[in-house]
Amino acid sequence: MSAALEPRVVAPGSAADAAALLAACAREGAAVVPVGGSTLQSLGNAPRRCDVLLHTSGLSGVRDYLPADMTAGLEAGTTLADVARVLGEFGQWIPFDAPRAPLATVGGTLAAGWAGPRRAAYGRPRDLVIGSTVALADGSLAHAGGMVVKNVAGYDMSKLYVGSLGTLGLIVRANFKALPRPPAHRVALAPLADDVRDRTLAALGHLEIEPSAALIFDGFAGVARFGDAGVRLLLTFEGSDAVVERATRGVRSGLGKAGIPETLLLDGGAAERALAEAIDAYIDVPGASLTYRSVGLPSTAWSRTRSAAALAREYGLHAESVADVRTGDAILRFSAADVATFAAVLGGFDAALHRAFERTTVLAGEPALRAAIDAWGAEPSTIATMRAIKARFDPTGILAPGRYVGAI
Amino acid sequence: MVTSLSSRLLEALGPDIVHTSREDLTVYAYDGYSESRLPSAAVIPRDAREAALAVRIAAECGEPIVPRGAGSGLCGGAIPAQGGMVVSMVRMNRILELDVRNRRARVQPGLINLELSKAVAPHGIFYAPDPSSQKVSTIGGNVGTNAGGPHCLSYGTTTNHVLGVEYVDSTGAIHRCSIDDPGYDLTGLLVGSEGTLGLVTSVDVRLMVMPEAVRVFVAAFPDVESASEVVSAIIAAGIIPTALELMDKMITASIESHFHVGFPLTAGAVLLVEIAGAADDMAAGEAAIAQIARRHGALSWRAAADAAEREALWASRKGAGGAIGKITPNFYIQDACVPRSKLPQITHEIERIAREYDVKIGNLYHAGDGNLHPLLCFDRREARSVHAIVEAGTEILATCIAMGGTISGEHGVGHEKRGSLSLVFDTEDLAAMGRVRDVFDPHKLFNPDKIFPTGAVCGEVRAVPAVA
Repeated sequence: MSAALEPRVVAPGSAADAAALLAACAREGAAVVPVGGSTLQSLGNAPRRCDVLLHTSGLSGVRDYLPADMTAGLEAGTTLADVARVLGEFGQWIPFDAPRAPLATVGGTLAAGWAGPRRAAYGRPRDLVIGSTVALADGSLAHAGGMVVKNVAGYDMSKLYVGSLGTLGLIVRANFKALPRPPAHRVALAPLADDVRDRTLAALGHLEIEPSAALIFDGFAGVARFGDAGVRLLLTFEGSDAVVERATRGVRSGLGKAGIPETLLLDGGAAERALAEAIDAYIDVPGASLTYRSVGLPSTAWSRTRSAAALAREYGLHAESVADVRTGDAILRFSAADVATFAAVLGGFDAALHRAFERTTVLAGEPALRAAIDAWGAEPSTIATMRAIKARFDPTGILAPGRYVGAI
Repeated sequence: MVTSLSSRLLEALGPDIVHTSREDLTVYAYDGYSESRLPSAAVIPRDAREAALAVRIAAECGEPIVPRGAGSGLCGGAIPAQGGMVVSMVRMNRILELDVRNRRARVQPGLINLELSKAVAPHGIFYAPDPSSQKVSTIGGNVGTNAGGPHCLSYGTTTNHVLGVEYVDSTGAIHRCSIDDPGYDLTGLLVGSEGTLGLVTSVDVRLMVMPEAVRVFVAAFPDVESASEVVSAIIAAGIIPTALELMDKMITASIESHFHVGFPLTAGAVLLVEIAGAADDMAAGEAAIAQIARRHGALSWRAAADAAEREALWASRKGAGGAIGKITPNFYIQDACVPRSKLPQITHEIERIAREYDVKIGNLYHAGDGNLHPLLCFDRREARSVHAIVEAGTEILATCIAMGGTISGEHGVGHEKRGSLSLVFDTEDLAAMGRVRDVFDPHKLFNPDKIFPTGAVCGEVRAVPAVA
């Protein structure tokens, strides 16, 4: 954020106040950047201007949770940990799978368009949103959807706001369809040496019970720990006890045949922590590092991490990765001894990375490195439509200006 | 103007693609709704390029562009309400790419829903959204309405299974968008936009692995109220079956007379329940649901013996619309949604409305989702009967809204309910949607007079609702 003056920090206490504030900012031409738990502020470019930091801490609470309907109205500033706690009491959950659940908020997670590793099993947060209230720059409060789980009345506007990074309005509330929380949760960890890797990847495709997440870590020391193994496999299984037990037998047998002698099992809270820590690590910024997320086909996730590592070597960078072989995400972290060393090759490396993989965007990184590149890579072919949407919703360009794709 | 549209289309695309004679156009005047209007031209493109050319010509002529799938929609979504050009996608009915490993396919919009699942079944995968119309309705039409179906309860609706689309914009340019693209989720906007934002020319769909085990049960209850209490209790217990359908006596009787699948004829209501997943969970799943059913006075509980019986039961349920024709000259199928805990209450209210308006109403619910399809019986030759169902249908909608529900769960707003959208959204809500419309279609050529309320209520003749 480039403003010479410190931005004003505000935390409206109601949706109406938030809408009035946006209208006032629009009249004054004051740039507004919404802030939830500040966990994913590294997404996108730094806004060109920031006069007002709009915190959603005053808009927080599980408002209309109806366990018997399995629906919940969540205010934007509610933390994911609070959502998990309140819904958990009724054996329900909303699988956000976002980093830093104690800090991360519902509004921020939606605005970031976050979708984690278990989306292959449970859908993305966007798929569970059944309604929303958004404060717009003209001071209006726009509702979409409702509190029913099936609804085709009018455009599905919630989809537009999810992933818009605060550039169209402020999500003040979202209604969700909750899911039954699986009773048993197990994580299986295994080392993945070079000589067993291909066979193991093939074996994963033949498991009778699919893992809800399947991640291959290379680097990211400290998470998915398995002895001193360099490359590790993390699988999560959820469901009834019987299903998790059968899944475990299947994994041991499948991985055993592929040449992996030993699998470490974690259950319950330990399993949940292991997955949460792994997801938290996606946005860690150790020293002079930059982390990208490359989205693609599940079948190419692993090979993309290998190509990225090879590319990093060409530029003298150190590469770490997570290959999410169920969703197709590749989390690619690159680092150098210091910022200056990284910065010297960054322009060429970033361009080469975008040439190699489409749909690769910056997830987190050292601020100076992030500031030196565009976070989004090539503009999508629909950029003109996106710019027109921005112009209609935020004609004076006060909402997180410059943060989004194509400098929107 | 009209002459210029037809002649320009003919000149550009030829008589095989462009139909302009009155007899050829008649079929494009209708869908499953009651109103109709002849278009000036019907275009049946073979590929996206031809579709785009047609859109460009219509746009240059300032004429409406109305996308059409199978025309099975019940709300007038495919009727050319202001005339102009209908674009029928039936020739674009191929699977362009199938990626079994990554469980996705790129299909043309004219592909029939069921044909997709049939084509991929040998690979152990399926396309989850299964509207009752799936034997005839198209993927493109399903995208337009964000179609649902019985199995949406656990798998989600069309929007949860569309990964991206290719579409023709209001200038005739072709674009592709994906939910994985950086930037705004245009895919999410296009799904359910009922052809008002663009013409979809291909769809990237998510395919799912067939569950290892499937069980289907038929439970009978003394009345609709007790059956709906069971549905609410199942959801309240945190159990989400893959499908949970409720049919009252009138519906089961008509289905039974047609399909002979063994629905108990003496029961006041029947629940059709499906659970699916790991084989290990089937016994416990059945026990939990059966126990709830018995606690609420189930008269009987029967499990389908095998896949053939399961399929027969589902075919009969999806054929209810056709079967009901045996017992009433005409019927009007309403589509509304309430929170699932409100099912017993809305059931009670529908009974009251039936009595008050002296209308025979059959109840057919995608109950697990709170999605109601009351079937209002009438005889279109009797003005009194038509008037009564219009009034009763309106009151059912209003009652659903008062309970926190909405005006459509899966059929869409279309032409029929555009006046009702303002019952659930205020002017600020509608203005936000209007902005999206303006961006995609500034001249409002794509499917005009759909979804959005018309400004002033003009003296139009009140429609006779959907007739089957």
